[in-house]
Amino acid sequence: MAESGESGAAGPASPYADPQGEPFLLTRFAVPTLPATFLARKRLSRHLDQAPGTPLTMVNGAAGSGKTLLVAQWVAGRDEPVAWFTTDAAEQGPGMLWAYMLQALVLAGVPLPADIGCPADASRVDPGLLVRLAAHLSTRDQPVIVVLDEFDRVTDPEFAEQLEFVLHHAGRGMRLVLVTRTEPLLPLHRYRAVGDITEIRDAELSFTPEEAAALLELHGVSLPLPAARALVERTRGWAAGLRLCALAAGESPDPQTYLREFEADHSVVADFLLAEVLKRQSPEKQDLLLKVSVLERFCPELANALTERDDGEAILVELHHENAFVEHLGHAWYRLHPLFGEILRAHLRLRSPGLEPELHRRAARWLRGAGALEETLGHGAAAGDWEFTAGALVDDLAIGQLFTGLRSGDLAELFSSMGPEAATPAMDLVRAARELSRSDVDRGLTHLRHAEESLGEDPAGQSTARLSCALLEALAARLTGSPGRAEVAAEAAQRLRHEVPAHLLDKHPELTALLLTHVGLAWLWAGRFEDARAALSRVAGVSGGAATALPRGDSLGSLALIDYLNGWLGRAERKALAAVTASERFSPAQPSGSDIGRLVLAAVAVDRNELDKAQLLLDVKASPRGVLRDPVTEAGRAITTGRLLLARGETRAALEAAEQAVPADVASPWAQGGTALVASAAHLAEGRPDKAAKLLRTVPDGQPACDVEVARARLAIGESVSADDLLDTLRGRAGPALIVRAMLVRAQAADQEGDHATSRSAVAQALREARRERLRRPFFEVGPWIWPLLSTAPLRGLAEGWLSPTLSPNGSPSRADDHPLPVLEELSGRERDVLQRLAEMMSTEDIAADLHVSVNTVKTHLKSVYRKLAVNRRNDAVRRAREHRLL
Amino acid sequence: MRYEIRVEGHMSEPLTTTFPELEHVVMSGQTVLFGHVVDEAHLYGLLARCRSLGLRVMEMRQLPE
Repeated sequence: MAESGESGAAGPASPYADPQGEPFLLTRFAVPTLPATFLARKRLSRHLDQAPGTPLTMVNGAAGSGKTLLVAQWVAGRDEPVAWFTTDAAEQGPGMLWAYMLQALVLAGVPLPADIGCPADASRVDPGLLVRLAAHLSTRDQPVIVVLDEFDRVTDPEFAEQLEFVLHHAGRGMRLVLVTRTEPLLPLHRYRAVGDITEIRDAELSFTPEEAAALLELHGVSLPLPAARALVERTRGWAAGLRLCALAAGESPDPQTYLREFEADHSVVADFLLAEVLKRQSPEKQDLLLKVSVLERFCPELANALTERDDGEAILVELHHENAFVEHLGHAWYRLHPLFGEILRAHLRLRSPGLEPELHRRAARWLRGAGALEETLGHGAAAGDWEFTAGALVDDLAIGQLFTGLRSGDLAELFSSMGPEAATPAMDLVRAARELSRSDVDRGLTHLRHAEESLGEDPAGQSTARLSCALLEALAARLTGSPGRAEVAAEAAQRLRHEVPAHLLDKHPELTALLLTHVGLAWLWAGRFEDARAALSRVAGVSGGAATALPRGDSLGSLALIDYLNGWLGRAERKALAAVTASERFSPAQPSGSDIGRLVLAAVAVDRNELDKAQLLLDVKASPRGVLRDPVTEAGRAITTGRLLLARGETRAALEAAEQAVPADVASPWAQGGTALVASAAHLAEGRPDKAAKLLRTVPDGQPACDVEVARARLAIGESVSADDLLDTLRGRAGPALIVRAMLVRAQAADQEGDHATSRSAVAQALREARRERLRRPFFEVGPWIWPLLSTAPLRGLAEGWLSPTLSPNGSPSRADDHPLPVLEELSGRERDVLQRLAEMMSTEDIAADLHVSVNTVKTHLKSVYRKLAVNRRNDAVRRAREHRLL
Repeated sequence: MRYEIRVEGHMSEPLTTTFPELEHVVMSGQTVLFGHVVDEAHLYGLLARCRSLGLRVMEMRQLPE
């Protein structure tokens, strides 16, 4: 094998999995090393040699049946690159698992294209990423062997399905080897039916009497074949049992008698043998084995920290050499054999009740010193030592990870069992962060004030805690729409950035990104566009990565909103698309990130009179985790919804949408103006010009977007306006969406005065400006007087092809069936797969074969596709899907 | 619901502590674990625990209340 764990370790830190806790991470990608007493069994290696001929190989056997070492020995003799990944005990979502898979591939020396992406949300993965990965692997000349060890720990059916997708589409570029104790959630029968699987199961893994004799020989115990046969019978050829037998017998003065006694005994094999072997170890060895049983992985120093002695290295080397209890993972890291870990923990609890929390505490402290934050937090929490655990998080400047990145879910879960007992500043900060992430500002601020008070008493040091305070203050500012609070937070952060160690800021780019995003959004709310733009641009400009995907999406979306409010439709759309795709590349439907971006896309669609598209964009629900409710998003949604409803002529609903109160500390000029204008237009449409006029007077001055609309509304009510002044103030400041509207105001004013030449030339100018942006809505807003004008030359020529009175004002290009479309439920990835193939005229059977699912499954998917698209025939489904650009 | 799980061999004391929620009796080459099982998830969890401890399950059945 070209790429062993050793050479992998030298590889660069890859962007796919978090480089924190590096030694632990690397042990997950390391091929276990073979102990000296490992018995190579030719018949099994020969069977495994068939693996490169089949896409899937499964080694499925009981704990301790020698699966892992068998595969480790086999891959050591292969020329192909080997990506080895041992799954973790913690329940993990597909996002995290794929991040590790990508990392394993990179460490195996399989280069991945830079644009392949990386999941940012532990619980999900972008289907596009899987397609890109499979497509990339399929171009390889030589397959990469991907080994997933302890695959039984993966219980997520979604991941199994995704894995199969990649395996299928990677073709000859990938060979998958699953090492597992339980039947994996893959459709094995289909692989078996076509001979696409190499399978080694318990029966084959069992030792034959000859092999058992050879194994005992390696341990220095000679056994005649009949005795070996009896032993195999007693242990059922179970590798771990035989190994323990060999160890126990080797220590006894008369091995053969010992083994005969064991055969006659009625105890549970593993249990009995483990106790036997354990009690023959020196007291130091026993102590170490019992204590490290609380750890997933350990190195000699960590073991020493637990035993409070310094003989860890010698003991571990010896234990590994004897092949007793421990496996070597490379880089001087070990783990207990999974089977014995549990039994040893049981012995530990019995012998030293109550010691477990203390051991976790010792482990947490050592790990903290070693810089392994994730594991530190895990053991700190297991010890129930929240003061230490919260302190470790805050001191590492990692508090931003509660909000963004792959671990945010795990961390929130971890701290959820923190009790309400007396607190340190760090604990208060974690509590504040948890409340604020649920948008509970009052409680969040209470905890934040507590933290600040206790920090205030101790001015020395604590800069990381103070910077964490600034981050939470900024978040509170965003959630409450408070520019003053944002100012305070930004200034504090500016000051503190020089006090905290630079390497921590580099390690946690998400902290700065989140802080600037929150501050920028608070300023955006207050109408301070230039300040907001300065802060948000810094975030949008930082290089990609899972940790900053969320704030980057937020920032791009907010910058798009500023462009939109200034009338720059095209620019707004480009940025909003970047915001949405950026966060989708990392993970579909990132909560609030693409929320703002999607709102801007919806607003742009309304301006283009693409009302169905706007509706679809507004209907996309934020994922349940997206609970950050800031006033910018809320008001943006209310105004866009109101404008869409106005365009559809649903004035009453528009009024309701606009009147939804958005609570905030200060009023936002653009939001206030925007809602007043929607309400005013709704009143006007319902024949209440006085109410409309009254509302117009509440619109704040100095907002270009509002000024234009106010002028138009005044005209509609019958008041006089100075259109030329308006245009002058806009020139050079505002984008086409506002200029076009202002020109139409001028045209309408001239029309009312009977000056048709001016009116006509203003409309012509407006058409020229609007055509590039496909800006249709303003022409519908001005009223019916414009349509006769547009049907005469030369205006007709300017409007031709993109704007015509036959466009129904209630929707985009009018359709034959004029029913309003039902609200679409988003299609699942699998349903899209089916739909895609439907569009390629494939039959149900063909689709089933292509997707490796049963015909009935395809039919089920089709049914839900039909339901979601509100159709009942194939052709209609494809047509409707095309209309909605689902294909 | 109540269940009993029969596993092969005599379980030692430390091993039985890994099933603190169940009672046990040792008889003729087998150990019987029995007691209240909360739900299906618990049941499968018990099976998985047997597997991870290298226990051979001979029989598993629901007991009348």
